Amino acid sequence: MHTADPLISGHPREALDRAVIREAAQWLVRWHESAQDPHLAEQLAQWRARSDQHEQAWRRALQVNDKFGLVPPQLGMSVLSERTELSRRRAIKSLVLLMTVVPAGVAGYQVMPWREWQADYATRTGQQRSLTLNDGTELTLNTDTALDVRYDRSQRLIRLHRGELLIDTGADPAQSPDQHRPLRVLTRHGGVQALGTRFVVRQQREHSLVQVFAGAVEIEPRSSARRPLIQAGQQLRFDSSGAGLPQPVDPHGADWADGVLVADRLPLGRFLAELGRYRTGLVRCDEHISSLPVSGAFQLDNTDQVLASLAYSLPVKVVYRTRYWVSVIAV
Amino acid sequence: MTVGDQAREECSALYVEHHRWLLGWLRQRLGCLHDAADLAQDTFIRVLTARDAASVEPIHEPRAFLRTVAGRLLSNHLRRRSLEQAWQQTLANLPEPEVPSPEVQAVLLQTLHEIDALLDGLPARARRVFLLAQLEGLTYAQIAEQLGVSVRTIKRDMAEAFEQCILLTP
Repeated sequence: MHTADPLISGHPREALDRAVIREAAQWLVRWHESAQDPHLAEQLAQWRARSDQHEQAWRRALQVNDKFGLVPPQLGMSVLSERTELSRRRAIKSLVLLMTVVPAGVAGYQVMPWREWQADYATRTGQQRSLTLNDGTELTLNTDTALDVRYDRSQRLIRLHRGELLIDTGADPAQSPDQHRPLRVLTRHGGVQALGTRFVVRQQREHSLVQVFAGAVEIEPRSSARRPLIQAGQQLRFDSSGAGLPQPVDPHGADWADGVLVADRLPLGRFLAELGRYRTGLVRCDEHISSLPVSGAFQLDNTDQVLASLAYSLPVKVVYRTRYWVSVIAV
Repeated sequence: MTVGDQAREECSALYVEHHRWLLGWLRQRLGCLHDAADLAQDTFIRVLTARDAASVEPIHEPRAFLRTVAGRLLSNHLRRRSLEQAWQQTLANLPEPEVPSPEVQAVLLQTLHEIDALLDGLPARARRVFLLAQLEGLTYAQIAEQLGVSVRTIKRDMAEAFEQCILLTP
């Protein structure tokens, strides 16, 4: 069998100076941070021009960089980080098990009031999942979502690590014994406090989006004192520094929870970006056709079929380079 | 007698004297006689080819020497085995239409093995940081926030990981 381990390959490689390799690694870090910076590009070019060694070390650095582009992100994360986290996952599983045997409702917390219950829930790309928490709150996790649930005596906290979440607090908080325990969703941009409600929180790279379908929520951007309240029928984006203005809510904003993606004259580029959330791998859109309007209701459980259907209604062709790498191009 | 002949002779003496011991040593660590036999075989082949090429210095501590060579092969073997397990598990969890074709699978698995070998021995946090940046495409600031450490630390982890990868890239 071919052994891919360079550590024990028999023949010595052409030696590059260790110090030059270290510098190349540091350049790669800087380059990642600010690839657009023309000043940096110039400095890097100067460094590379110093000697053949420097140039070669940089080429090798780019080779390393490119290798990772070949792996679909979720698949790679799952395989490559699985093993180091195995013990942590096992521990979490047993906690979840404990949670289910605690009597439902407040009684459970009074039995062990000192205890903080913590659990991890996650969905893979393309997967959705619903669960009911002990207080009757219903959570629906959209594709590629991860969260922790932490209920203690003073609060009910849901930490959204990534993805999108529909929350239905169901019961009227005024009659709920939980009224003194606020329900909050925390994203990396700040908190969202529920006031008896049905709402969606979606965490994206630059901001979080909140859509309210019933009741109201209070937004708590991480580093802003302003705490805007949004009512049913409104949505807004916020980041760590503050919240935008409330907009009318997208009436189809929670349709994903029914497994449907509804588009109403949505530009193809954005449609494919949205659809791509439900697929492992890449979906690329040819720039020339990215503004073609897409309308319809699409079933999320078979994204291949959705892609195929595009070719019927639009002047486009869907090309599979691999199952993980799909391009939509002009006919 | 040529240097090569001398090496082969020495190696066969090594084999006769220590093969059983090495097999036992490997079997203890692998829990499987079949794999142990394969690795013992690989160890002797490696010793033979290495000593064929280099000028021959007599081996002073044959068992310590064999342990070193076999130990590296062993950890490589275990790493590959655990990656393949994680791979099978991941495939089994994929919804049917997402499962790649056998050809794509072969290419992906090979690439994953290569990446895994590049990252071997990195501290757990540096490995995690590196995967989050390179695979998930998170920015350093995002990773710092997620892991609760400073951006400086993230950059140091990244530089360390890149350095090792560049060093090991053929």
